[in-house]
Amino acid sequence: MIELKNVTRRFGKAVAVDHINLRIETGEVCVLVGSSGCGKSTTLRMINRLLPHTEGEILVDGEDITGMNPEQLRLNMGYVIQGTGLFPHWTVARNIAMVPELLKWPKERIDARVEELMTLLDLDPATHAGKYPQQLSGGQAQRVGVARALAADPNILLMDEPFGALDAITRDNLQMELLRIQKQVRKTTVFVTHDIDEALKLATRIAVMDQGRIVQHDTPENILRNPASEFVENLVGKQDRGLKLMSLRPVRQLMTAVSDAGRPDPGVESVGEDDSVRLALSVMVWQSASSVPVVNGKGEQTGVISRDRILQDGA
Amino acid sequence: MTPNRVLPALALLALGLLWGLDLGAIQPNRIVPGTGHGLLSALGWPGAGLVTAVLVSIGALALAPLRHRYAIILVLVSLALALLPLAPELLASRHLPADAPYARSSLGAGFWCLLFLLCLMLVEAMGRLNAGRWLQLALLLFVAGSWLLLLQRDGLESLSLMREYNARPDKFSQALWTHLALAFGAVAISAVMAFALALKMIRTPGWQRPILGAVSFLQTIPSLAVFGLLIAPLSALSNAFPFLQSLGIRGIGWAPALLALIAYSLLPMVRNTFVALTEVPESLADAGRGMGMNERQLFLRLKLPLALPVMIEGVRITAIQAVGLTAVAALIGAGGFGAFIFQGLGQAAMDLVLLGALPTVALALAADALLTMLANSLRPAPLAS
Repeated sequence: MIELKNVTRRFGKAVAVDHINLRIETGEVCVLVGSSGCGKSTTLRMINRLLPHTEGEILVDGEDITGMNPEQLRLNMGYVIQGTGLFPHWTVARNIAMVPELLKWPKERIDARVEELMTLLDLDPATHAGKYPQQLSGGQAQRVGVARALAADPNILLMDEPFGALDAITRDNLQMELLRIQKQVRKTTVFVTHDIDEALKLATRIAVMDQGRIVQHDTPENILRNPASEFVENLVGKQDRGLKLMSLRPVRQLMTAVSDAGRPDPGVESVGEDDSVRLALSVMVWQSASSVPVVNGKGEQTGVISRDRILQDGA
Repeated sequence: MTPNRVLPALALLALGLLWGLDLGAIQPNRIVPGTGHGLLSALGWPGAGLVTAVLVSIGALALAPLRHRYAIILVLVSLALALLPLAPELLASRHLPADAPYARSSLGAGFWCLLFLLCLMLVEAMGRLNAGRWLQLALLLFVAGSWLLLLQRDGLESLSLMREYNARPDKFSQALWTHLALAFGAVAISAVMAFALALKMIRTPGWQRPILGAVSFLQTIPSLAVFGLLIAPLSALSNAFPFLQSLGIRGIGWAPALLALIAYSLLPMVRNTFVALTEVPESLADAGRGMGMNERQLFLRLKLPLALPVMIEGVRITAIQAVGLTAVAALIGAGGFGAFIFQGLGQAAMDLVLLGALPTVALALAADALLTMLANSLRPAPLAS
C-alpha cells in the first residue's frame, strides 16, 4: 500500500504538485492521468525518491520513505520508463538480471529467473537472451523493460508512460499483456499516462490530475458516469462516454444464456464472453444483425447478445 | 563481378613511377650526391622484368572475372612487400665499387613510391576481402619479420641507412627507449590527470570553464615556445633545490620536455573524457538509479563502459601527437629520435635525418594501429542490425 498525505513539490517558486492525498491499495493498478505538466510524473518520481518531496508524507506499507535508504527502497520497486532505459552495452539477459545482480543472487537463481520472465513476457529466451537492445523492435525492447522491472519480484511497480513511444498496435498488445501479467502477479502498480483510453483500459482506479492537484480519484466507470468537474468531463470526452462505458463492460453481463452448449455454425461471426459490449455492437452494426452468438474460451456457445439489449442497458 | 578500377590504376602508376624515377643511388661517401640508377640499371633485365610482371599481373587480375582474384592479389602484394628489401640489395651488389670503403647505396624516389603504392594496394585488397583484425595483424607481422631477416644479411650493409645505424647501434636503441619513455610517459601521466580533471568538471560544473580554458590555452602556445619558456623556471628551481639536480631535473633535458608534452596532451584527453562521460544519456542514468543503483555502481557499470571507447580515442590522438612532438623536444636536449634528425640536418647528412624520421613515423603508425584495435575491441555492443 502506498499513501501520499498532503504531498507538495516545488521547483523554485513553481508548484508542481500541490498538497495531494492519494491512497493506493495493495494489488491495485492506479493510473495517474492528465495533460503534460500536470504533475503526474513528478508524483511518480517522488514515490521512489528520484525527486524529494517538499512537504507532506509518503508512506509505503505504513513506513515513511524519508527514513529509508533510497537504494533499498528502489530495489523493491520495479521501474519502467518511456524510452525503456535499457543499457545498450548489456545483453537482454543481463539487462533483465540487473536488480537480482545488485541483490547478489546466486548465478543459477538469476539465470532461472531471467528465463522465467522472458517466457512470461513472450520473448523466446533462446533467440533473444544474447541480443543487445538496439537489435530489438520497440515492442520487444519494452517487454524487456517490463521484465527487468519484475525481475526481483518487487511489491510495487512504477510505470512512467511506458507505452507512450510505441505504435498503436504494439501498444494495444502490450496493454493486453500487462493486464494478463497483472492478473498473475498482482503488483501494486502506479501507472502514468496522458492517454485516457489507456487509463480506462488498465486502471483499477484512476487519479485525474490537473495543475498539480488530484481533481478526481475513482474507478473508471465512476469517472465516466460522474465526472467531478468540467475538466474531467472534457478529458473523458463528453459525447464519447457511451461507447467508452461499453468498452469497460464484458459481454457476459448483458447476454442471455443459452443452455445447449453447441458450437455456432462455422461462418457465423461470434464474440467471446470477456469481449467488450462495444465490440459486440460493432460486429452487429457491420453485419446488420440484430443479435450475435456468444462463445466461451473453448468455442462453445453459451449465450446470445442482442442489439436492443445493448442499446437499452449498454452504457 | 565488376572489374576493379583502383588496383589497375595503382599498378599503372607504380609502373610509370618505377620506370621514370631512380630506384636508388650509389654515393662515393656520406656527403657527395651519388649517381642515380633507374629500374633497369639497378636490377638488370631479369629483376626489372620480374617487378614489371608482378605489377602487370596485379592490374590484370583486378580486371579479370575470377572468383578468388582478391585473395591472389593479396598474396602477390604481400610477397612483393616482404621481398622489397631485395631490390636495394641487388642494386648494391651490381654497382657498389669493391675497393671504396666509404661508398654507400641509398634509396631513391622510385623505391619509396613503390613501397607506398604497394601499401595502398594491400589496403584496397584487404578492404575488398573484408579482412578481419587477425589477418591484418598476421600480414603486418609477416612483412615486418621478412624485412628484419633481410636487413640482417650482409648484402644491405652498404645501404646508407644501415651504415648510419651500424655507426651508432647503442645510440639508436637509447634514442628508441628515450623516445618511448617520453612520449608514452607523458600520455600516461596526462591520462591520469585528465581523468581526474574531467571528474572534477562533472562534480563541480563551476570548474568546467576554467579547466577547459586552461588546457585549450596550453594547446595554443607553439611547442618550441613552451620548451623555451620552461628552461628559465626549471633552471631556477633546480638551482634553488639541489636535490632536484640529482634527479636530473634541469632547465634542459627530459624534465622540460616531459612537462611540455603533458601540457600538450591534456586538451584532447580532458575534452574526450569529459564529453564521453557527460554524453551518457540521462534516461539511462535515470533508469539505473530508479532500479536501485547507487552513484558508484552507475559510474562503474554504466558510464565508464559507455565512455571508454571515446576516451581511448582521446589517448590515440594524444599518443600520435606526443610521438611527433618528442622529436622536436630533442632541441632542448631531451634525446630521442629527434636528436638524429637535428644532427643530420646540421651535418647535411640526409641519411641520418632519415634514421631519425623513419622510426618516428613507424612509432606513430604503430600507436595509431594498436589503440584503434583496442578501442574497437572495447566497443561494448554491436550497432543496430
